Amino acid sequence: MAAKWIELVTGSLEQKKQYKQAKARLDDLPEPYLTVAKAFNRYFMYYGGVTEGDTMVQMFSDLADLWERAAIDGTPVGEIVGEDPIEFAESFAQAYGGKRWIDKERARLNEAVDKAKGMES
Amino acid sequence: MGKQMTEMLKGTLEGIVLALLTGNPAYGYEITTLLRAQGFPDIAEGTVYALLVRIEQKGLVDVEKRPSEKGPPRKVYTLNAQGTKELDEFWNTWSFLSERLEELRKGGK
Repeated sequence: MAAKWIELVTGSLEQKKQYKQAKARLDDLPEPYLTVAKAFNRYFMYYGGVTEGDTMVQMFSDLADLWERAAIDGTPVGEIVGEDPIEFAESFAQAYGGKRWIDKERARLNEAVDKAKGMES
Repeated sequence: MGKQMTEMLKGTLEGIVLALLTGNPAYGYEITTLLRAQGFPDIAEGTVYALLVRIEQKGLVDVEKRPSEKGPPRKVYTLNAQGTKELDEFWNTWSFLSERLEELRKGGK
């Protein structure tokens, strides 16, 4: 009961725990994977704009899977990321269909166009 | 890889990967290796990884986690019914496009 009430205020505690676990996995990576994983994480904070906690947590733990695997197999960073890191980061983030802050504006744009079309008839 | 090649691949890579997965469950690195063997030597593993995440989110593949000798378990991707349907649609679209383009090329000569 108390936990439910707290979660109303703070968001899901389970999600926070999962996020922290994924974060800890990233922090444990050896170099150079640590540096590149951190850089991607930072970029996702700006680019992703994902508002759903579940999607966010899923994304971070998938990312931890990817870099842990790369570190163990010794795959060079360039082979993972390809020639264009931005391209990789954005197509990766777009794979997660969660709600984004831009969705609200997209809906607004659609409404405005519909309204304008209505004026034609 | 040339810029044009990269752009064109972007639209077709999903279909290519679904086709590779037909009757052949595989994990990420295997798929990258297969692609390279099929004549796409410059494919980055991350590109494939992002694509696999996307087709998983879209429900086109079933994912099974298999323990590996070292490190985290490997995710093995199997094409499911929805993925097979998507692949059929991809081939239809592809046939349509390539026929139209071939016509254009003939017309241009």
